[in-house]
Amino acid sequence: MTRRSLVLASTPFVLALAFFANISLGPGSISPAGAIGALFHMEADSYEGAVVLYQRLPRALIAIYVGATMAVSGAVLQGLVRNPLASPSTLGMNAGATVFVVAGAYLFDFGMTAQGMAALVGALFGFFACVAIARLAGGSADPRGLALILSGALVSILFIGIANAFLLSDPARRMDFLGWVTGNINHVYGDRLYAFWWIGAAALVLLAALSRSLTLILLGHEKAASAGVRVDLVSNLAIGATVLASGSAVAICGPIGFVGLVVPHILRPLVGSNLSALLPACMVTGASVCLFADLCARAAFHPYVLHTGVLMDLLGGLVFIVIVRRFYLSGSARGLA
Amino acid sequence: MRRERATDGKAVFRFSTGLEIPAGNLLAAAGLVVAAILLAALSTGLGRTDTGVSDLVRLFLGTELSDEQAYALWTVRLPRIVMGFMAGWCVAVAGALLQSIARNPLADPGLFGLSQGAMTMIMLLAVIAPGAPREFIAFAAMGGGLAVALLLIWLVGGERSSGLSILLMGIAIQTVLSSVDTLLLLYTPPETSYALSDWIAGSLFGASWPGIGSFAVVFVASLIGIFFAGRALQAYDLGSEMAMALGEPVGRSRPVLLVFAVMLAASAVTAVGPLTFLGVLAPHLAGFISPAVGRPRLLLSGLMGGILVVAADALARGLLGNLPLPIGLSLTLIGVPLFIVTLSVSSRRR
Repeated sequence: MTRRSLVLASTPFVLALAFFANISLGPGSISPAGAIGALFHMEADSYEGAVVLYQRLPRALIAIYVGATMAVSGAVLQGLVRNPLASPSTLGMNAGATVFVVAGAYLFDFGMTAQGMAALVGALFGFFACVAIARLAGGSADPRGLALILSGALVSILFIGIANAFLLSDPARRMDFLGWVTGNINHVYGDRLYAFWWIGAAALVLLAALSRSLTLILLGHEKAASAGVRVDLVSNLAIGATVLASGSAVAICGPIGFVGLVVPHILRPLVGSNLSALLPACMVTGASVCLFADLCARAAFHPYVLHTGVLMDLLGGLVFIVIVRRFYLSGSARGLA
Repeated sequence: MRRERATDGKAVFRFSTGLEIPAGNLLAAAGLVVAAILLAALSTGLGRTDTGVSDLVRLFLGTELSDEQAYALWTVRLPRIVMGFMAGWCVAVAGALLQSIARNPLADPGLFGLSQGAMTMIMLLAVIAPGAPREFIAFAAMGGGLAVALLLIWLVGGERSSGLSILLMGIAIQTVLSSVDTLLLLYTPPETSYALSDWIAGSLFGASWPGIGSFAVVFVASLIGIFFAGRALQAYDLGSEMAMALGEPVGRSRPVLLVFAVMLAASAVTAVGPLTFLGVLAPHLAGFISPAVGRPRLLLSGLMGGILVVAADALARGLLGNLPLPIGLSLTLIGVPLFIVTLSVSSRRR
């Protein structure tokens, strides 16, 4: 059994472990065994059952959704824009979706469905803004994609600033969005998950169908074209799918950054760059990472409950530093520049 | 004082002591001072209470004002303007210094994470020792800023790396530190927590005359520092080798200049919170109005920085009325588009 298949086979078990840990651990007098029993029982006839079914289960499902969509989007984007730092959060998608949702809610009183659509449009807008500014800022000479990531960071700073300005303009409604804007996995967003889950599922199915062509594109556009891949069509479809996936994730629980950046980097050395294997691995591991981060945010700082987005920023920022150092500042990379 | 032509054909004023000031820079400085005064006058008239600069003049001439007007002018608006100007001045000078010693036109204390480092240190202090004296907080802030500067130098490996990667590294450090700040905010007592989260956004709401008094020390120190640093920076702008060839002790003066820049940035953070983008915008805008090197460049940058803060504050208050937009946020909203323009101009020049 090779290491790759070993890793691939073990990821579902890790996910199962993360899921049960997330469900069963937590403050309160519920025993882990009782929590798991309530999960299989599936009826809210007791206190334990109600807590597990209406609080912990939605939380865990949101974490799984966000982790899976973000990690897969990150893996695809890193391949397509040929940049190790690419991910929905570093390319402005998350921030774009955030500002569109907040603006929609404040200016036009959008309901939940309209907010979801605004998030999708916003994610697309954020990505285009990022690419346009990178063209403007980097000129044609941007061999290593530094300008792209920098413009993504700038777009994010600007959009999050605008979102914060909106929040300040109406203190009464601010409390509704304050947690959401920093990326908060919370059971109250369960109905949003119920409304939007199919968007991410469709995007993931589309990306899975495209994974073979996308892997060929990684080898080079000419090679892919000679193997019969319609490069432009596949690339556009894939980027569209990542926009849908990350936009819907933001619509549910706000911008949870850096899952999409971190997870592909953990898995690529173990699984390889073949997207047919990497994408499922990313999907499952991204979900596990989010579940563990959520558990950590809830339990590690007891009695305080932290937003999961803050914890992911901490982890992701550290990984970001390591990646910048390895890819942009190591001796070999400097020779390439 | 005589008006002459310098070797490059530009007009300069030459004093009997040997001091030389390019005429263009002097003119620009005068223009900026006038602009600052006009802006300040305009800014005193913005707000809910109906008063303005004419009332202020009458106050100085001895006429009594109503309590409400006196309060609005003397306790709210004037401290805000003065504090904003001085903080903007310090951040802009720090940015100009960093740009010269890092040889990177995009250097900025906010983007490099120095401000964030100072802030994290202050938050740490608020958690560990809530009753620490004010002076101690200022030193802690400086220590935090310096620690981030050293970390950044260690991570990017001196000056070999390209300009954009150091910026990315700074942004990464900033992300980590800001989430650490959020964590620390949990552990502060509730009443400090509210004050701190206001200050994290960068705000002038807390400006007061005692605060200005202690900040004025830094302001004066910055003037003295500019006087001594100007000549060295002129050499630095030509590159380290050239600076050494010109007799600049780079190995010794670079750390001193770095500490000076961090001190300015950290004290601005202590006073009003982080002002990102200002350190890169002000020197570029000043250079756009009147290209300068050495001392004039620092002075013009400082003036421009102060004007930008007062203008951003006035704009936020004038346009948005009662919406309490923190100065850090309004600077970000104005700063990012201008920064992108700066990036594109500097890439085209490359």
